[in-house]
Amino acid sequence: MLTHVFAQMILAQEVEQISENGESGGGAGLLLPVPEELFAGIIAFSIVFFFVWKWAIPVLNKTLEARQAAIAAELESAEKAKVEAESLLTDYRTQLSGAKDDASKILADARDAGDAVKSDIIARAEGEAEQIKVRAGDEIATERDRVAADLRRQVAELSIGVAEKVIGSTLDADTQRDLVDRYIDELGGVK
Amino acid sequence: MEELILATAPCDLSDKAVCAPADVTELFEFREAVFSVLGFPFTRTVLLIFLAALIAIGLLFFGLRKRSLQPGKFQLSIESLMVFVRDEIAVGIIGPSGIKYYPYLMSLLIFILIGNMFKITPFINMPITARMAIPLFLALLTWVIFVVAGFKRNGMSYFLDIVWPPGVPVFLKPLVGLIEFFSTFFVRPFSLAVRLFANLVAGHVMLTLLLTTALVSFVSIGEIGLVKGAFGFAWLVLGLAIFMFELIVIVLQAYIFTLLSAVYIDTSVNVEH
Repeated sequence: MLTHVFAQMILAQEVEQISENGESGGGAGLLLPVPEELFAGIIAFSIVFFFVWKWAIPVLNKTLEARQAAIAAELESAEKAKVEAESLLTDYRTQLSGAKDDASKILADARDAGDAVKSDIIARAEGEAEQIKVRAGDEIATERDRVAADLRRQVAELSIGVAEKVIGSTLDADTQRDLVDRYIDELGGVK
Repeated sequence: MEELILATAPCDLSDKAVCAPADVTELFEFREAVFSVLGFPFTRTVLLIFLAALIAIGLLFFGLRKRSLQPGKFQLSIESLMVFVRDEIAVGIIGPSGIKYYPYLMSLLIFILIGNMFKITPFINMPITARMAIPLFLALLTWVIFVVAGFKRNGMSYFLDIVWPPGVPVFLKPLVGLIEFFSTFFVRPFSLAVRLFANLVAGHVMLTLLLTTALVSFVSIGEIGLVKGAFGFAWLVLGLAIFMFELIVIVLQAYIFTLLSAVYIDTSVNVEH
């Protein structure tokens, strides 16, 4: 707008100067088209129009269509890849889940086996301990019997010795021993 | 100082503030033929008109020839411009049938844009659209297209709807019809041509006078004195500011001409609008 105001002022000044000087011409001549320029304009614009119509727009349309197709193909490919990835992910998840189950099972089996081994070892140990205990008991009983037998034999021999000294005669060894044993047994019964 | 002239007259800044030729047409008319072919004179303006066509074709050709699916900046710019004209002007204003006028509107925009751009192109500095032949021819072409399209699409009802507009009170119909008739068939092409022409002429005059005066001021500062010479700096600053402003005018006027052409075609093709 500023441009136009200045231009109008300058043009007005020029027209005034021209009028004062009595010169011909001025801006009015500018409004009339020059034939050679008009002709050149028609030819030049026709060339541009023909080029745009026959070459530029078809090329643009083809380029845009190709780009659209490429984008659609890429989208389709991306969609396929996504579906594939999702499928793989599902597989992996299934496998992972199976592996976890397997691991749990293995762990449980191992735990069971461990428990079984533990129980077995404990049972065996307890059995062995029991056997040792029984054997020890038997040995103790045997030892006790032996000790008791020895003791009895020694008591009998001592008693016989004493009795022989008391009565001054000799008893039959077997008779004496029976006598002592019966006495001891009676003592045990009294006790 | 006498050598630094705008056209034919020398510029003396001692008795005036701005260098201006006695006849303003000297800033626009280059009637002397550079060469002639079969009697047709190839003047500077004629050569610039063909150069504008060549540049327009060159831009489109080099912008689109690669057909790359991943476009570079230049290809993208050209494609964006073409898609903009198709979607926002041709189809956007006229509707689906506007695709038929897309080649014309695209040619219009790029030809006017390049022609306008010559205004600020170094060593050219002369917009071909500041010569009445170009705006007038393009405006008349638009006029022919929208009138023919109107008759072709709507038959005689196109003309009758203009001179006897429906929906207007009967006593106003003759007046409104007369106004519409002159507006559609005479004012439209004239206003379309003059709008483009006047804007480009104004800018060209301003730039030429201001920048030339600034140059003359600097060169002849010894003769006109420091105070007057300092004005040259002011003219230079103002000229450069207008130079930037003209860039907007160049693009805007090309767009407005194309847009209004589409609007006129739309009013002929889609009468119900």
